[in-house]
Amino acid sequence: MHDHLPPGVELVKADEFTEWLMDIKVLDDNPLYRNEVYRLKFRFPNSYPIEAPEVVFVKDDTHPIPWHPHIYSNGIICLDLLDRQGWSPVHNVESVCVSLQSMLTGNTKKERPPGDENFVKYNTQRPRDINFLFHDNSV
Amino acid sequence: MSSIPSRRLSRASSRAESTFSFHSLPASTAPLALSSPAVTHRSEPSDFVRRSNRHKKIPVDVRTLEYLEPCDSNLVCLICHCPFDKAVRLACDHVFCNDCVDQAFAAQEGSAPKTCPTCRNRVDLNREPLPVPRILMSMLDELRVKCPNHKAGCTWADKRSDAQDHVELYCDHAQVECASPDCRLGVLQKDFHKGCLHYTVSCEHCHTSMMKKDLEQICPNRMTICTSCFIEILRHDLPSHLKEECPKATIMCPGSVCGCSFAHERTVVVAHVTTCPMATMAPFFQAQKARLDEQESQQKLLQRKVDILEGGLSNIQNMLYPANTNPNEPCPVPNPLDPNTIDYASGPLPGTPDFRLPAAAFPPASQPTVDQATAAGQPPQPPFDSSTHHLLSLHESLRDEVSRIANALTDLEGRTNMMIINENQRVKDEMLHTNAAINSMRMQLHWLTSARLQAQNRTTGGGGPGSSSAAGGSGSSGSGASRAGGNGGGSGSAGAGAGGSGLGGGVTLHPIRRLSDSNRQDTKL
Repeated sequence: MHDHLPPGVELVKADEFTEWLMDIKVLDDNPLYRNEVYRLKFRFPNSYPIEAPEVVFVKDDTHPIPWHPHIYSNGIICLDLLDRQGWSPVHNVESVCVSLQSMLTGNTKKERPPGDENFVKYNTQRPRDINFLFHDNSV
Repeated sequence: MSSIPSRRLSRASSRAESTFSFHSLPASTAPLALSSPAVTHRSEPSDFVRRSNRHKKIPVDVRTLEYLEPCDSNLVCLICHCPFDKAVRLACDHVFCNDCVDQAFAAQEGSAPKTCPTCRNRVDLNREPLPVPRILMSMLDELRVKCPNHKAGCTWADKRSDAQDHVELYCDHAQVECASPDCRLGVLQKDFHKGCLHYTVSCEHCHTSMMKKDLEQICPNRMTICTSCFIEILRHDLPSHLKEECPKATIMCPGSVCGCSFAHERTVVVAHVTTCPMATMAPFFQAQKARLDEQESQQKLLQRKVDILEGGLSNIQNMLYPANTNPNEPCPVPNPLDPNTIDYASGPLPGTPDFRLPAAAFPPASQPTVDQATAAGQPPQPPFDSSTHHLLSLHESLRDEVSRIANALTDLEGRTNMMIINENQRVKDEMLHTNAAINSMRMQLHWLTSARLQAQNRTTGGGGPGSSSAAGGSGSSGSGASRAGGNGGGSGSAGAGAGGSGLGGGVTLHPIRRLSDSNRQDTKL
């Protein structure tokens, strides 16, 4: 399937079936994300694809964390698709990347989720263990 | 998707547990239906029956099969990304593998109604999943796969629906139960007619033991052909053949150890050796080298031994002469020239001159050894050529010292014995003297009492000559008395004389007796 990756999605590292790195770009001219490449880290549980993978943005010198009201500054993504209820085994790495691309494309606000500072400072949980409250149905 | 292998793994593991709950129809019934015409191809139905009995009934895992050509993406399960295995349909017309959709439902939260993994439509588990259209079944069945045993060598490749039959009935590379009724191990079908091969044999060429059935596959000792001379030979023997026999193999001149650079085929080299001076010398050189190596290793061993012994020796010396390491402290070994040494004062018999001799004999023997030890402790000027010599001489001097000490000890013992005997003699003499004194005292006492008795008898009037004679007898009994006894007798007679005068009449007999008594004593002395 990675022979035909959708545009703006690139496979960086997929050495084993526990952790993959993917790069995604926002394709349209959204000024928030123009000329930026974001790096995603996928960690697959043993029961994948029955269970959701753990997906976070990774920050380094060339890859910032995108601005989004549902993306914390430490890279944790609040998206129902990646949560236990929202996940479906028919999803895969490609579909998750495309979903994130579209989530960014539709955003116009350069902001972080409310309580971002506190969350980033005190969060020690893995993303899969955090109970997100999905209130915003617009994305 | 490239995560397919992990999915396969998880599926394969869950397969073992999950019984084919419902819809075991699609994949497993089709092969069974096809199997009856297939039997007619077989010439021996009895063989088929036997085989189907002995075959281990492991259902072919469709997900592990290799497909000859890439599968149409419409025939692929979205969950496991493999061509559908026992495909089932939900009411929303989404199709999954039976096991995949089961697992997906199990992962969904228990209380909530199950939903389609693709479209999240609610699923009614009483009605669903539904069977798939027959055309889909046929398309899936006609996918061409390789035999699951293709890695073992089977070249079969055909419709997926026939894979189970092939493995169970025809595949020569399938694992079947061993022909021996006692043997529980599996064997490849093609080797079945050979009988039980599950006994350990020792390969006579490579000398390892392996199961008979593995002999052909694993044992490297099958026939092969020498690359140089093209004779047929066991693979195991090939290296030695090349090294020692093969006439065409290129070898070095044996004189290469001393510098000959001639290298050619063995036959040529053999001719060369007769003329090569280095080849004739080579065995000699090699023997010398071996000897040298041996000597070197022995020397190393000896060196280690010497090191250990030296360490032990210096420890012993430190223990024996701790003061020598510190020149400020007095030497504990008694100095024979120093009369004030404590050893003399604390001797068991002070004042006995014999006792000084062993002590005086010891230090001259020990003194040179101490000097040696201190000299050996200074590495700048070791007094010996080699450590072995040094060690031997130290050992020798120690032995001398020990024998000297032993001699001194026996000497000392003899002297002590002599001294004890002398002292005993003296004590015995003194005791004799004392005994004599006591005897004379006793005699004196007898004489006094008898004199007294005589006096009493006389005063009573009835003077008994028996009693006086008894007194005379007692007097003569002290014949061995000394001069002191004589003196005592004299004073006693004086006292008796005084007593006699005090008593009054009848005193005339007394002096006579006294005189006779003293006379006798004089003659004795």
